[in-house]
Amino acid sequence: MHDVPHPSRRRIVHQGAALGLASLGAPWLLGTAHAQADDLGPYRAAKVNWRQAEGESITVAVIPAGYFENLITLAPQFEALTGVKLRFEKVPPGQIRQKAMLDLSSKTATFATHAADPMYYPLYTANRWVDPLDRYLSDPALTDPAWFNYNDILKAWRDAASVDGKPYGIPYDGEVTVQVYRKDLYAAKGLKPADTLDELLANAKAVHDPANRVWGLALRGFAGAGQNMYIYPSLLRSFGGGWFNGRDLVVNTPQAVQALEWYVNALTQYAPPAVRNWNWPDIADAFSQGTLGCYVDAHSSAAVITNPEKSKVVGKIGYARWPKGPSGKRVTSIWNWGFPINAALSDKAKRATWLFISWATSAETQARTSWKFAGPAKRSGLNRSSLWRAPEFAAAMQGAGDNFIAAALESLDQDTDVDWRPRVPQWPAIGEAMATGIQAALVGQKKPKEALDEAQARIQQVLKG
Amino acid sequence: MPASGFERRERRFALALLAPALAVLLLVTTAPLVYLLWASLQRLDMSMPWLQGFAGLANYQKMGADPRFWNSLVLTLVYTSSTVVLQVLVGLSLALLVLQIPRGQALLRIAAILPIVLAPVVVGLFWRTLVLAPDFGLVDLVTRTLGLGSHNWLGDPQLALISVIAIHTWQWTPFAFLVLLATLATLPPDIYEAARLDRAGAWQRFRHITLPLIRPAVVMVVILRTMTALSAFAAIFAATGGGPGSATEILNLYAYRTSFTELNIGYGAALATVLLALTMAVSLLLFRRRRGVA
Amino acid sequence: MIAGRGPGALARRLALAAVAGLLLSVWAFPVLWALLTSFKSERDVLAYPPVWWFEPTLEHYREVLFGASSILPNLWSSVVVASVTTVGTMLLALPAAYAVARLRYPGRRASGFYVLATQMLPPVGLVIPYYLALQKAGALDTYGGMVLIYLTFSLPFAIWLMVSYFEDVPPEMEEAALLDHAGRLGAFWHVVLPQVRGGIAVTTVFVFLNAWNEFLFAVVLGGNKVRTVTVAMFNFISVEQTLWAKLAAGAMVAMAPVILIGLLAQRHIVKGLTVGAVKGGGRR
Repeated sequence: MHDVPHPSRRRIVHQGAALGLASLGAPWLLGTAHAQADDLGPYRAAKVNWRQAEGESITVAVIPAGYFENLITLAPQFEALTGVKLRFEKVPPGQIRQKAMLDLSSKTATFATHAADPMYYPLYTANRWVDPLDRYLSDPALTDPAWFNYNDILKAWRDAASVDGKPYGIPYDGEVTVQVYRKDLYAAKGLKPADTLDELLANAKAVHDPANRVWGLALRGFAGAGQNMYIYPSLLRSFGGGWFNGRDLVVNTPQAVQALEWYVNALTQYAPPAVRNWNWPDIADAFSQGTLGCYVDAHSSAAVITNPEKSKVVGKIGYARWPKGPSGKRVTSIWNWGFPINAALSDKAKRATWLFISWATSAETQARTSWKFAGPAKRSGLNRSSLWRAPEFAAAMQGAGDNFIAAALESLDQDTDVDWRPRVPQWPAIGEAMATGIQAALVGQKKPKEALDEAQARIQQVLKG
Repeated sequence: MPASGFERRERRFALALLAPALAVLLLVTTAPLVYLLWASLQRLDMSMPWLQGFAGLANYQKMGADPRFWNSLVLTLVYTSSTVVLQVLVGLSLALLVLQIPRGQALLRIAAILPIVLAPVVVGLFWRTLVLAPDFGLVDLVTRTLGLGSHNWLGDPQLALISVIAIHTWQWTPFAFLVLLATLATLPPDIYEAARLDRAGAWQRFRHITLPLIRPAVVMVVILRTMTALSAFAAIFAATGGGPGSATEILNLYAYRTSFTELNIGYGAALATVLLALTMAVSLLLFRRRRGVA
Repeated sequence: MIAGRGPGALARRLALAAVAGLLLSVWAFPVLWALLTSFKSERDVLAYPPVWWFEPTLEHYREVLFGASSILPNLWSSVVVASVTTVGTMLLALPAAYAVARLRYPGRRASGFYVLATQMLPPVGLVIPYYLALQKAGALDTYGGMVLIYLTFSLPFAIWLMVSYFEDVPPEMEEAALLDHAGRLGAFWHVVLPQVRGGIAVTTVFVFLNAWNEFLFAVVLGGNKVRTVTVAMFNFISVEQTLWAKLAAGAMVAMAPVILIGLLAQRHIVKGLTVGAVKGGGRR
């Protein structure tokens, strides 16, 4: 190996020494959590007996993600407040639904609650695996309505976690899809963020320069119910398409074909060829490396592209809403992770679980995992409108780029659509069939109409059982 | 032949040696097998619990008319045969090669084992993003420098299949290499004496002496590698998820997706049963040829 | 089987070494690339063209070993699961393989095939019944439960691998031992086993490896107490982003124990090799 320049050698020595010091790092965060635990005042203000389930022990399944990690460090506060022992199990995102469902269906009551995909609530309720939460919300012994303020939680997310008007999960963290663009590249060509889908393509064309490794745009291509089927529904709705014809599920309507054709065209013309296998982290990574002019994806990707350790484009980012489609609609995702209550638990355990859920989704905890959090990662997917509008939140999100909060808030207020995806128990299979079809079209294996017809045939088969 | 005392003792000894292992296997695999077969005869779909009930052979009939199933079957055959053949060819060649190099064998053996030691899910992810991504990955860098252009290795349906075969072969050839190396090493050197005296060439020595002697080991490697290839999961799942479309969706992956993503447990169990039958058929065929023309 | 003497032979040996070296570097390259990645800053990981000279950093190893998402406890879990599985497997498999390979008893062929067949059950179909069974036995998220399940795919594999090696032992050796009134057990222990040392080494390595790298059962049947490195790897593949450098560092750390086992085991493969490599016998 060549001589490593002196400064680096020194750095390694320093870092080696720091290895020992750093092992004290994790407890530092816990120490702060303990300090905050002494200040449980904001919780005690609630007219609820936090200690009514004292002695219980609950396990919560979550995925490895910053927004849950923050919550996990606050676990000692919950235990101090309620006397309930709280344990988290981190399950990889590809397996958490399956593991949770194995537990729910076999009634083993391993997980008191878990981070639930809102598209699965119809499935859960069809099997009666989770309790309706309205009785917990209206029970004065369990919830102080003024303090908890259920209606403060973003309406779109509340609706996403409800079936037939009854809530089955309380949203904890969510995201909104926004347009993210390189304001320096746009400024150089005199471009404004796109207002319509056509403008999006025009902008992409203007900055598209593959010879210099800059591609115009990127959208998720990876096959998956939560991957390319996260972008497609927005396109479908903005082309005026829907999922149902009366009570029948129809996915190969003319609007659907148009939407898919637009999707295929956009990616074929202006995106890097690898995009067909890309998921949101890949897009964020590419954008951070400066190879993308713009993309449309979850706002939480801001954390990646503004991370000075990883990103080369810090300070050159702007945000805007999803562009309008031919029907004049813009549709953002209503994705969120919420917590339901496992129906197989004992009564006392259910109360303990509800205490956990109301604690985690309360305004105070949301703040403590965001701008009040002692570590570097401040949550941006808060669940309450009051918090989104809070000046502290704006201050914490300052580094994200132009128009971040405004774009996100507008989208949350105006662009959400609960029927963005078909809310039926068979969603998992339907999502998969659509995702496969979309990817087949994206890679050119099939024409969009063919792919959708095939998906329709497959879905009919699934619905028959 | 009448059973003598000697033979009876041998029999008892044999059963004593075999019993513990057999007991464990019987205990732990019988119940799941029964469950699998039972589930395949049921209509068991978590997303439509109102349909639950006995279905007889309906799941199997459905399979017959399911184009995705036939697709996965073909893919499985192509995938498995390609990777196993490659693994054995390359592994055997490498073993023969390494035997002739007295020094540095330890280093070569450690280097050879590295791919298998890497966790499959990491293998899949790394290959997907760092190695095979067009315009961003290593392979593309190489092909472009060589003037072969950039290709969408995992995004193009044909190339994707080749890519996942390559990944699996890359990861598992070291197994064939090491096992066959150990086998070759136990061959006594004097068997070649006579051949050398007859001035037989290296290829003839290989074909008529070495090959028949290592044949049982080779067939065993083939059987074991076939079973692994048939149930390959983690790396291919992380690399392509079965895509693009269903271009790399081998039967094992299809069964997984059906059971765990589409939640049709009954149909998934039927697919798994077919996979089991397929594995048994192939293994039995190979097993019979183990001894071959003795 | 060494290439003979003479100038042509030297060139041939060099050529062989070059080919082997090339092949093996292709093999090891992705792993070496991962090693390199583990020392890069996250920014440099995805830089294109790839960065070869850079300021190395140890921060990822620090994070992986001592940080908030340390995988040290998971390393321990993996070590326990893999070791116990390996020891259990070898203890049960060696006698069984010998029986199938050498001894005569009724149903020999059938029992041999049955053993092989048990490994053919696709893991996909086994996950649910295993989950339900372990749950009823209260053995979910326990070492005992996990090892028992792991035995089901290790045992058949180990038995059949060893059968080939046992079959290669010249029968005359055992007969000689029996004639010496060593008894069957003695013959097995003192005469046959040492002969297959290389085979035992190889089998041990692979049994350990399979147990170490297993993912599906580990994630479904494990939990917080039994959480192996393959599951813990996902600490770095969070929903927001993949921390490639940390993942690489984690993968390197996860590989270390297995490489150690490999190093220890390969000495025994060497012993086997020495006998065959030097023409005319003799020992080094």
